[in-house]
Amino acid sequence: MSMKSLTPRERVLKLLNGEKVDRPPIFSGMGNVIVPVLDKFDIVFSKVHRDAELMAKAAASMYREFGYECAVVPFDLGIEAEALGATMNFYDGVEGLLYPTMQEKCVKDVDDLVIPSDMANAGRIPVVTEAIKAIRKDLGDEVAIGTYVIGPFTLAGQVKELDDLLEESFLEPDKTNLLLEKLSDAIIKVFHIYKDAGADYFTLREMGATSDVLSPRSFKSLIKPHQRRIISEMPRPAILHICGDTNSIVEDMADCGADAISVDHKNCITDTREKLGPDVIILGNFDPVKVLHQGKPEDVGPAMKASLEGGADAVWPGCDIWPEVPRENMEAMMSALK
Amino acid sequence: MKLVQIAGYLGSGKTTLILAISKSLSEGGQKVAILVNDVGEVPVDGKVMQEYGLEVKDIGGGCICCQVAGNMRKTLGLLAKNYEPDITIIEPTGIAVPNAIKEAVGPEVAKFQITFGPTIVLFDTTRAEKFLTYETLIRLVSTQLKDADIIALNKVDAAPEDKIEYSQESVQDINPDAKIMKLSSRTGQGVEEIIKAVRDFTA
Repeated sequence: MSMKSLTPRERVLKLLNGEKVDRPPIFSGMGNVIVPVLDKFDIVFSKVHRDAELMAKAAASMYREFGYECAVVPFDLGIEAEALGATMNFYDGVEGLLYPTMQEKCVKDVDDLVIPSDMANAGRIPVVTEAIKAIRKDLGDEVAIGTYVIGPFTLAGQVKELDDLLEESFLEPDKTNLLLEKLSDAIIKVFHIYKDAGADYFTLREMGATSDVLSPRSFKSLIKPHQRRIISEMPRPAILHICGDTNSIVEDMADCGADAISVDHKNCITDTREKLGPDVIILGNFDPVKVLHQGKPEDVGPAMKASLEGGADAVWPGCDIWPEVPRENMEAMMSALK
Repeated sequence: MKLVQIAGYLGSGKTTLILAISKSLSEGGQKVAILVNDVGEVPVDGKVMQEYGLEVKDIGGGCICCQVAGNMRKTLGLLAKNYEPDITIIEPTGIAVPNAIKEAVGPEVAKFQITFGPTIVLFDTTRAEKFLTYETLIRLVSTQLKDADIIALNKVDAAPEDKIEYSQESVQDINPDAKIMKLSSRTGQGVEEIIKAVRDFTA
């Protein structure tokens, strides 16, 4: 097969499998759904998280409308916590657009955490799996379907008060480890459910493990062992994403064994490339808020190119795309490599 | 609209101080809005919460990630447009990083003429050793303290003098530029001084 005939799906999967590609793909493994797409189908944002058909339509349209080389579901960050018993606020009556947030946490002690025996049907997990199937039906093999699951430490902070978690992890590390172990079991299960539904690549999003909050030493002792285990048991290709300041933990991130690591704009990607050498696939890291949402169209190309020149292997925003990204900026992103 | 942040570890006395400040400012004729982590703890009616999304929930597990930052930006925009408060007090989650919140507000600053009031970080003097010695807490506590304009040493009524001194020296080491105040939300010591600082502060 000549390189020129690569479909977006082939381009993305080849890259993540460490093979050569004709050009860096423009894609993401995190949330991306934007207002022009929602408006086109009259989709209310607060509803898109709970309706498989709408979710699939919105995700597939990022490719259909803009040529964005992926379709990623879900869009919010509460799927797993909700499946484990936390309640969510979807802001149904709110003017404008707000992402769902946690309403009630469900774990005080590790024994409170009950992993549902039928995880595939817990909370909104079936919405995501149905959406994955619907996207495949719609886009066939042309576009890679991405999905993500929240990492064990971040998920722990969603189901349990984070201050308590941090304190407990010092005083009773065995308890915290047990909690993270149980959550890791659930996370691995969810990934496989998404794989069985037809997803192509998988991002473990450990947003909360940033060095702003945890020292590199705590990351290494508390979180890394669980991430390593998840990555060894989750479907591939696997991407590990951590938000915020990751400069001092990128080697540990790479050592977790994922096929690629993903970082945001607070990471100095040039240093990261230098530390990790040429073989590790690095995704990131332009700022989806300042550049893509708030920037002008002419700002987008240079920011993307700066990431690529710094050592990124794909055009990959450092975080979720805020839905109010202007159409022109999205188009600028798609045309910048042409 | 002036934005005031009141941050600090869980149980450091944020909610009590917020209520005292907002009551005093309201009585002085200012319109106050409160953006909190848990609406259950403050007298905000359900309708207002629904309309403005008045909770700052830690969906990112400690990360002011794009969704959290975006929600905050939108909520502040809606508040400024529809409610027009003079002062909005934000109580970030126990683990949030104050400067990340300032950054998150971004372009709304110009759009809604937002100014920054002080970032007040509460430090519970009764638990000083814990915050300054537990390996898993130091990073977060220091990050918060470094972002403070005012560090309020709280619960000074309940801590022995040597603990208060130890707290004062330690936090000043971490952030030499911050103004340090002593506070007891329970007895009221220092509350007026903080309210005055909120009123008078210019960034």
